[in-house]
Amino acid sequence: MSTLVIYQKKIKKYLLILLILPLMAFSLHKYYISLCEIEYVEDKQTVQIILGIFIDDLEVTLNKDHDKKLFLATEKEVLNINEVYEAYLNKHFKVTVNQILKSYNFIGKEYDDDIVRFYLEIPNVKQLNTIAITNTSLFRDFESQQNIIKIKVNKLNKTFYLDKKNANCLLKI
Amino acid sequence: MKKSLLVILLAVFTTTPFFAQEVEQVKQKQKAHYNISKFKQLHEELPTPNSQHTASGAPGHEYTQQQVDYKMNIVLDDENQKIFGEETITYHNNSKDNLEYLWVQLDQNVRAPDSKTPDIQGGGPSPLYSPEKFTSSFLGKPFQGGFNIEHVKDINGVAIEYMINSTMMRINLPKPLASGQKFVFNIKWWYNINNYMTDRGRSGFEIFADGNTAYVIAQFYPRLAVYNNVEGWQNLQFWGSSEFALEFGNFEVNITTPKDFILIGTGDLQNPKEVLSKDQFKRYEDSKTAFDKPIYIVTPEEALAANKGITKETKTWKLLAENVRDFAFATSRKYMWDAMAVDLNGKTVMAYSLFPKEGNPLWEAHSTRAVANTLKVYSKHTIDYPYPHATSVNAEMGMEYPMICFNYGRPQPDGKYSERLKKGMIGVITHEVGHNFFPMIINSDERQWTWMDEGINSFVEILAEYNYDQALFPMTGKPKDITYYMSGDQDGLEPIMSNGDDLLNFGANAYAKPAAGLYILRETIMGPELFDYAFKTYAQRWAFKHPTPADFFRTMEDASAVDLDWFWRGWFYTTGNNDIGIKEVKKYYITDKPTEQAKNLMMRYGRSIDQLSPYLYLISEDSEEFTSDLKNNKPEDFKLLSEYIDTNFSSEEKSTLKPPKYFYELVFEKPGDLVMPIIVEFEYEDGTKERKQYPAEIWRKNDAEVTKVFPSNKAIIKITVDPDEQTADVDTSNNSWPKNTETEFEKFKKNQIKG
Repeated sequence: MSTLVIYQKKIKKYLLILLILPLMAFSLHKYYISLCEIEYVEDKQTVQIILGIFIDDLEVTLNKDHDKKLFLATEKEVLNINEVYEAYLNKHFKVTVNQILKSYNFIGKEYDDDIVRFYLEIPNVKQLNTIAITNTSLFRDFESQQNIIKIKVNKLNKTFYLDKKNANCLLKI
Repeated sequence: MKKSLLVILLAVFTTTPFFAQEVEQVKQKQKAHYNISKFKQLHEELPTPNSQHTASGAPGHEYTQQQVDYKMNIVLDDENQKIFGEETITYHNNSKDNLEYLWVQLDQNVRAPDSKTPDIQGGGPSPLYSPEKFTSSFLGKPFQGGFNIEHVKDINGVAIEYMINSTMMRINLPKPLASGQKFVFNIKWWYNINNYMTDRGRSGFEIFADGNTAYVIAQFYPRLAVYNNVEGWQNLQFWGSSEFALEFGNFEVNITTPKDFILIGTGDLQNPKEVLSKDQFKRYEDSKTAFDKPIYIVTPEEALAANKGITKETKTWKLLAENVRDFAFATSRKYMWDAMAVDLNGKTVMAYSLFPKEGNPLWEAHSTRAVANTLKVYSKHTIDYPYPHATSVNAEMGMEYPMICFNYGRPQPDGKYSERLKKGMIGVITHEVGHNFFPMIINSDERQWTWMDEGINSFVEILAEYNYDQALFPMTGKPKDITYYMSGDQDGLEPIMSNGDDLLNFGANAYAKPAAGLYILRETIMGPELFDYAFKTYAQRWAFKHPTPADFFRTMEDASAVDLDWFWRGWFYTTGNNDIGIKEVKKYYITDKPTEQAKNLMMRYGRSIDQLSPYLYLISEDSEEFTSDLKNNKPEDFKLLSEYIDTNFSSEEKSTLKPPKYFYELVFEKPGDLVMPIIVEFEYEDGTKERKQYPAEIWRKNDAEVTKVFPSNKAIIKITVDPDEQTADVDTSNNSWPKNTETEFEKFKKNQIKG
């Protein structure tokens, strides 16, 4: 059995396959994944990022980090939750544009069913030659966590699947 | 247009030797090809129909199926977590063939120390190791799992030769088993039960904090593989992922457990009086008329009391199951048991749940009710549930067997649970109970085609969940969800028609994509009336039989008179996605003066303008012939038309004629590979809206672009393609006119600033 552990399903639908987050809406079967959609909008010269993560998984990690219950997406949610999110993302989600590590603006978040979506923006990108993403979100606490990165630059679409063993991806235009 | 230009060029070049070289180049580009129409029938993809699997998709007049009956005595050793069994198997050879050997599946061998399953998994070291895993991986002490076969004997007690190839065992028959004959043999075995919480199996035990153990036991006995005229013997090994292909038969099973255990398994309990207390038996009988709400057969108090003692005494549960394809059970001293009666067209079926106190209060509130709901909705869409009970067992997984399934969902220690957990738990129960129908009854080959049970089941699951709680499980936006998968990198996609073991995206490919496809067929392409009849026909035709993908595809067309080959071809056989957009919108105006185009047409037929009988013509606003005064023309102003109307229609009929004021030419583009209906919403200047759906066949002659004329008596201010996102369109940026360039991100940002 041994290494099968990693490859066999925890729950039948838990297979640690490359699964896509919004599938959950079909039936809420548990996969350890996140989905990040990145688009470079040339005429606005911005990189727009939407990052979706399962709330219950993120809650496990953030509760641990802060050593208290944060009650995400409930009435009891702590008031400065956006700061908590922003700090977590700054640590675990990194974007490098044209070989320079960029900071991004935290536009906001939305809760949608069991998913939280973060809206992040990097303004003033006049030209995009390369873009590299590091996303280590949830890797510490979820062995089979997979972070999916979809990048759209003009007509080019590319999808990367990041996991604990390989948390980086690079797209050259 | 381009084509005719090419013809002319070719004509010029071929008469001019100087251009000979160029001519050849042009010719080289014009390669011949096979029929590449997206509407080409699936003659080459589907197997040739025969008298077992017919062209209509129904079982044929020579359809046969093997039957395998089992009598088993099972002993569960709770102290040592071992299970012992002896089974007498009666194999009925109903096929027309003589069989030299039988194949038996030994799925437990996937956990044997010499299992090849770990060997086929690539990748580096794991990020973390539990002590058990570290020991088994690196210290040469793997878990001693897998079957220990003590004997294989015939009815006279004579040993039968056998050979084990990993998860398959070949029984070498003393002489070939003739058609119509049966063969009876006996296997004695035992194995060490695995802890499914650490090795993530689909069966095994879980140890609770109070030291008690709960067993969910499945794939636990040597099981006959399927023999049919599609695959011969099912001879794919069990690698741990793709599931089972099993024959139907009758099971008589005695299971001995510690005396304080509660047990439910596949089949009807034959000795409830012996194994239940007097009070429990009374409630067991009472529950048969509890149609309104679940009642406890084993109460939380009784379960709590049983938790405390450990007994050496045992008792034996006797179960009888008819016409099932497999057998499983769950047992523990921790379980409470609640029950509700379900009326299916006058027949009573029991919905049961088994759960430890860790499942409450969530489980007593929803599990049995979710089982009952699933039975009702699935019965409506397929066949009435044919078995005596359906049971949901609380375990940290989701896995299905006939009449019994294992489902997750445990609240916090203080009993609180989130809506997310509740939704997940109801979802998984609905899904796993739904598997009773696909594949336990409509018994497709799971090892070959994961989508046939998972995908079809996930589709009906949507309808059942919606029926359970419309607010918790809304149906809106279903096809849209799959676009995230379908628009992904082509390197990471496989067609649905792939073997389950080969899938990179198991859940998306085998569950969600086929479910979304069937949802689109029902809601958008066929409509519920045609779809539901054909779908039910498939279920009725193949209940208790072994259908193949072709049987499904063919039946859906055969019973609806809707050609769906194009849909199966695109959605199931390719990795293509759907992207339809509105490319251009032009206004046309009416005139009675012949246009250049009309004149040219007439000339081709050798007629002159003077010979033309009076016609009406449409002129595009970007045409050279367009003049602004044309804008004032109305159809009814032309005598030609008004006279025609006056002579041909009564005044009553005339009042219903609505002469359009505007003529639009709509150009639709299709960057996506799939063909789909075009759903268009027109929004008019007065704020009203109208919809038009063009069938997918609109793409028959041009796979990239089509043009439609749309008459209207109100000016259109906005056109939206697929406004409700029903067709899994992967790129909606081209779906509106005037073009909407705002991204999802920008919409959110705008709302943030406003908010």
